[in-house]
Amino acid sequence: MPRMPRRRRGALALALPLFLLLGACASDAPQDTLDPKGPIARQIDDLVNPVFLVAAVVFVIVEFGTLAMVLKFRKRRGEDDDDLPAQTHGNTKLEIGWTVLPAAILAVVAVGTIGTLININSRDDAAMTVRVEGQQWWWRYSYDVDGDGRFEDEEPSTGTDLVIPAGVDVELEIHSNDVIHSFWIPSLNGKKDAVPGRTHTLTLNADEPGTYVGQCTEFCGLSHAYMRQRAVALPQDEFDDWLANQATEAEEPEEGTEAALGAELFTTQCSRCHVARGINDEEWADEGDKTLVAGEAPELTHFATRGAFAGGTYNLWEDLDGDDIVEYDEIGGELNRIDLEAWLRNPPGQKPMAPEARGMPNLQLQEEQIDQLVAFLQTLD
Amino acid sequence: MAIVERPTAPLELTSGREVSTRPMGGFTRPQSTTGWTSWLTTVDHKRIGIMYGAAALFFLAIGGVEALLIRAQLAAPEQKLYSSDLYNQLFTMHGVTMIFLVVIPLGAAFMNYLMPLQIGARDVAFPRLNAFSFWVFLFGGLFLNSSWLLGGGPDGGWFNYAPNSGVTFSPSHGIDFYALGLQMTGIASLVGAVNLIVTVLNMRAPGMTLMKMPVFTWMGFVTQMLLVFALPVISVALFLLTFDRLFNANFFDVGEGADPLLWEHLFWIFGHPEVYILILPAFGIVSEIIPVFSRKPIFGYPFMVFSGIAIGFMGWGVWAHHMFASGIGPISVAAFSLSTMFIAVPTGVKILNWMATMWGGKITFSTPMLFSIGLVTMFTIGGLSGVTHAVSPADTQQTDTYYIVAHFHYVIFGGALFAFLGGFYFWWPKVFGYTLSDKLGKLHFWSLLVGFNLTFGPMHILGLQGMPRRMHTYIADYGFEFWNLVATIGAFTIAASMLVFGWNVLASTRAHRRNPVNAGPDPWDARSLEWSTPSPVPAHNFDEVPTVSRLDEFWHQKYQEDENGKVRRVATGAEAAQKGDATDVHLPSPSYWPIVMALGLPLIGYGLIFNLGIAAAGGLVTVLAGFAWGFEPADDPEAHHGAHGHDVHGPSGDGNGSGDGDRHAAEGEEATVGSPSAKEASTDD
Repeated sequence: MPRMPRRRRGALALALPLFLLLGACASDAPQDTLDPKGPIARQIDDLVNPVFLVAAVVFVIVEFGTLAMVLKFRKRRGEDDDDLPAQTHGNTKLEIGWTVLPAAILAVVAVGTIGTLININSRDDAAMTVRVEGQQWWWRYSYDVDGDGRFEDEEPSTGTDLVIPAGVDVELEIHSNDVIHSFWIPSLNGKKDAVPGRTHTLTLNADEPGTYVGQCTEFCGLSHAYMRQRAVALPQDEFDDWLANQATEAEEPEEGTEAALGAELFTTQCSRCHVARGINDEEWADEGDKTLVAGEAPELTHFATRGAFAGGTYNLWEDLDGDDIVEYDEIGGELNRIDLEAWLRNPPGQKPMAPEARGMPNLQLQEEQIDQLVAFLQTLD
Repeated sequence: MAIVERPTAPLELTSGREVSTRPMGGFTRPQSTTGWTSWLTTVDHKRIGIMYGAAALFFLAIGGVEALLIRAQLAAPEQKLYSSDLYNQLFTMHGVTMIFLVVIPLGAAFMNYLMPLQIGARDVAFPRLNAFSFWVFLFGGLFLNSSWLLGGGPDGGWFNYAPNSGVTFSPSHGIDFYALGLQMTGIASLVGAVNLIVTVLNMRAPGMTLMKMPVFTWMGFVTQMLLVFALPVISVALFLLTFDRLFNANFFDVGEGADPLLWEHLFWIFGHPEVYILILPAFGIVSEIIPVFSRKPIFGYPFMVFSGIAIGFMGWGVWAHHMFASGIGPISVAAFSLSTMFIAVPTGVKILNWMATMWGGKITFSTPMLFSIGLVTMFTIGGLSGVTHAVSPADTQQTDTYYIVAHFHYVIFGGALFAFLGGFYFWWPKVFGYTLSDKLGKLHFWSLLVGFNLTFGPMHILGLQGMPRRMHTYIADYGFEFWNLVATIGAFTIAASMLVFGWNVLASTRAHRRNPVNAGPDPWDARSLEWSTPSPVPAHNFDEVPTVSRLDEFWHQKYQEDENGKVRRVATGAEAAQKGDATDVHLPSPSYWPIVMALGLPLIGYGLIFNLGIAAAGGLVTVLAGFAWGFEPADDPEAHHGAHGHDVHGPSGDGNGSGDGDRHAAEGEEATVGSPSAKEASTDD
């Protein structure tokens, strides 16, 4: 057999650890699982790194050992086939050895695993709790503003953007309103499924203020690929301001402006699903259709304070620093008018949905109406 | 159980009236053992094995095309080659096809063909049931795939979590086809499992104790045990799902108080043993090939056997590692973390024992050996990434990402499929009498190895970079573009490589037709009993059922220790092998009823979906075929009465001797159970 293919094989065997290394080094991967930005994710990372290392050692031993061995013990040209090698049938001591040794290594890994598992599952009862609800195909976050431990209808909720204070534990109480989804912000913690009928908990903690992205990781139907979420961590004082603002009602736009026409349109066209408190509460209460499979659509009272819309499918504001993520300071900057208008023009064309049951239908809006709605939506800050 | 034997002579009545020799039963059995119709009625385990293999390769082509469509869509970000709806159907059917219609049946193909031969039996314990399993599997697979033409395929992913699998969220009939189709393939595997278990336990040649069975037969036996216990669980789950979808049974309706985790548990209690069902036959194949081409016995036979059994048992205690993020409590997570880590131990033992088998050997790099080394090296990568999943906190980062997709493709493709392809090259001369081209085989192997690593290696990175699986598209700027493109290039390399395999089969067959040269009974100087039969194996398998005294019995007929303790060749394979010239071996007759009975099941399936009348008709077909089966004679004495000395030289199954011989192979259900028929069959002539 020619020598060349075996070398190629060696090159291939080398390739995998290189792949892993490259994966770990990728700088432009905002969902990188090996780049923790908070204490919980870091504990997971610290746990798994030595395991990767041990795996790499075993990998090298097995791959290169096999390679070296099959080369060393290959049948040479001209050797007599009937001249048999030593017919060893086994070696019990050796075999017990290589049964016990991996078991011992794994026992060490097991101890570390259990320790970390207990640590990351311990909950801080004093921490702020946010209620997270997954539904096809967006996430709702409800805040308990009055601190009574309940999430009431009047209290604010937001979509896609989970705003949290940085540097402290935030407890999530995860639900689903239809099928199973999975909540995941890789740089802050592992994922947790949102299962209908059950409440699951997860703790997030971000070292620094910043915007951390993730997406739904349990297959949930047509727009699973578009169901994203963002965790926006703010300094505590900015967070307090943010929450205080969310608890307020939206201001009615000044009469006669384009935005006022938009508000009127919003009230007549959108009240079946959406509410903007202070604008269409009554209409929404009358017309709001709670029989929809996934419950109602996102509350839009402070729509313009979010970084993304349509379940995180599109950025709401232009990303000015070019990292494709709309940071908190970019919100309220330059509107991503093209995608927002396209969305209002024909939502099912922008994102796969089942509009007769779930997701936003095509409302057949005129261009003029779209402009009015966009003007109105911008006032919801 | 009663043993029904045909009367050897008509009873004489006192009235002196002539008595028919025809046994009980109103139907005759088919006679033809040649021509394509004989394949429909055959009960020969070898022909059934060949049909399993052919059907699995057919479905492999379908599943492969689905994979290419998936990779084409993901070659670049935000591509819209087709809708998210179609993409969801494609990845669902890709998974379902590859697992249920390709890898399980490939295992069934090898186990059906080889296990009776390796234990020195003439057929399986229940030949007609064997045919029934095959036809149910084939019809189930076709039924499942017919969903493409009848409103769309299933779209819930292969593990099809509730409540996304409900009518509310998946209103097309796709998931009904999934539930009913898998129910059918489940029946096929369950029936086949009972059959092979009984075969192994009851029909071993004299002297072949359990610890003298070849490792492949051992692993096959463990696999069948897993199937017997795992399949009822998924059957129940699929019944619940079917009743939910068709008759509003509310098993998974959260509004009515259901807990969707019920489906997850049921699915994975089946689904994890299923992983070992896929891989253990492959381990068995490799354990046969490596010793032959290293010219050494398997290292640590008892460890190989017991680690396989250990995997078989421990495989039941790890299912919830698929659910570390599902919200089960930390104690459960910890327990399943530990059990999952420790199942790596027996698997690791196997890898090291294969390496030790090669150590000090005299290794020939034939195509089967290359594929086996491929399994050792590629499966190890899958095993190592598997250990990182067992670290449950880390798994909450990895699960449902492409890291998992990489992991299980290294296990199922780099493990199982590599071994099965190696098995094709290894046993092809035994089955068809000629070898596949080694040159093309090597091209196949190396191109596959390159394509495979190009496709699935980068998925480790994609997963660790946070790319979830089952997305019909992904956005740019998340670092996913480059490696997805590489993976797509790799997938098309795999496709090209599999075309080389197809070309090899065609070219080698044509070369053999033009210039038929028989590969001989033992082209590789191999070890187990199937190599002691002529190639292709005659219908009756063994002229004389061998008497076994050692592990690797056939090898010891060729090699013995001389006075200095040095092992020397005493006979060539051709000298030691049987000649295949026995006549008048009594074999089970073909039967119409397995295929007819199997035909009723898809009718029931279509009926449940579209029209209950058709279901009733299908039920009637099945029940009536069951009666016909029960009442058909054990043999057809009128056709064959006194016909001794049938030609049994022809290619497999073409010369089905079925005279009134002295020697009895397995005679269907009637003659075998409870009778030491293997021993009976060994009486010489």
